[in-house]
Amino acid sequence: MTHEDSHLSDEQLLLGVEGELSSHEEQVVRAHLDACWQCRARRQELETAITNFVHVHQREFDGKLPPAAGPRALLNAQMAELSAAEPKFSELPRYLAWATAIVAVLAIGLFFTRSTMNRPRSRQMVLSIPDSSLTPGAALLASRGAVCEQANTNNKAVPVALQRQVFDEYGITGADPLAYEVDYLVTPALGGADDIHNLWPHSHSATIWNAEVKDALEVRLRQMVCDGSLDLAEAQREIAADWIGAYKKYFHTDKPLPEHGGPQIP
Amino acid sequence: MPPRFTSLTALPGLGAIAAPDTRDRLQEEVSSLFDLYRAPLLRYLSSFGLAFADGEDVLQEVFLSLFQHLRSGKSRENLRGWLFRVAHNLALKRRYRSSRDLDVVPEVTDPSPNPEEQLASIQTERRLRAIVKALPEQDRRCLFLRAEGLRYREIAEVLEMSLGSVAVGVARSLARIARSAER
Repeated sequence: MTHEDSHLSDEQLLLGVEGELSSHEEQVVRAHLDACWQCRARRQELETAITNFVHVHQREFDGKLPPAAGPRALLNAQMAELSAAEPKFSELPRYLAWATAIVAVLAIGLFFTRSTMNRPRSRQMVLSIPDSSLTPGAALLASRGAVCEQANTNNKAVPVALQRQVFDEYGITGADPLAYEVDYLVTPALGGADDIHNLWPHSHSATIWNAEVKDALEVRLRQMVCDGSLDLAEAQREIAADWIGAYKKYFHTDKPLPEHGGPQIP
Repeated sequence: MPPRFTSLTALPGLGAIAAPDTRDRLQEEVSSLFDLYRAPLLRYLSSFGLAFADGEDVLQEVFLSLFQHLRSGKSRENLRGWLFRVAHNLALKRRYRSSRDLDVVPEVTDPSPNPEEQLASIQTERRLRAIVKALPEQDRRCLFLRAEGLRYREIAEVLEMSLGSVAVGVARSLARIARSAER
């Protein structure tokens, strides 16, 4: 309650300006302001201070924020990774969901315990799926004959400058290049192009869907294309759209086979 | 000269896989929220002394947490407050000092041709920045959160303080700013 001879506090004036007072408090404040020039002047000063702060706050950041495309793409890739790696909890029976949660907590703990021992302080995102907006895949206009006549099917090394462009595009800053393989989405052995739209940072570790597994798929698809059981364009499309789905389809499995670096069956 | 390669998105079949309408709707929702709140959150994180590059790292964790939060069917009430609260907690864990120099005054774009007015404007701005920089940490955070449109109750939740303390903190900061204008 405000005595009519005592002035309003800065908090009361501010809360009044901000519309944060109860209706009773608001009435009291308004009645005082109607009668008191001094408090009206003070309220004006506080409003001017808000205006000045907002002006400087905006100017400090306007035009300085880096573009959102790279960070957004990285986020999308990581969400896709999570979606691919984990079944939805709602689809699992409750006891299985709890078991999954416990295993996940243990795995995360183990991962951090091991990784923090030798990991540099830089962004190390785990990527096993490219972002389709950044890496849609690009293929040379290659015929089946041209693809199958290639003697050397090993991927050629990606130039360091191009690798850096790929990291920048994915918003991976200060990353240890050894943590990733800048991989062709459509391998040149299947007519893939040497182009940034066909390159993405594939994590070496911490994911079961790693580069070694994809290599096995590439060998299988090339064999199928060359023995005539799969159309080249279809192979390029499938590996570009969803390479993990293609692996599951052509190896008839839900997880990488042990001979491709998958978990060993005891 | 014909192009050496063709984008695979142009090939039939792939478009359907990469098109937005077939993506997980939750991913799209989180991606939209990222677009909406990235700038306000980065600005808020700067009050911890985090440079944008470090702030971006924090935001990746924040929005992946949001994705998990929504995937597991948890509350959708006041997601904006939730985002600021999680960003706040993650930022507290890393508290780097920023390489960004708060004293650097950006180029004044005031169209006024009068150099004296320009100089006065630069000086006022520099003084105000110094005052904001010197505010108690919690008061500065109250001010930054309010500048991003959070109501007092939301600020109190993010900073885990009482409603009254938020009002006192914002009023105290504005009083200092107001005093600087009198000089």
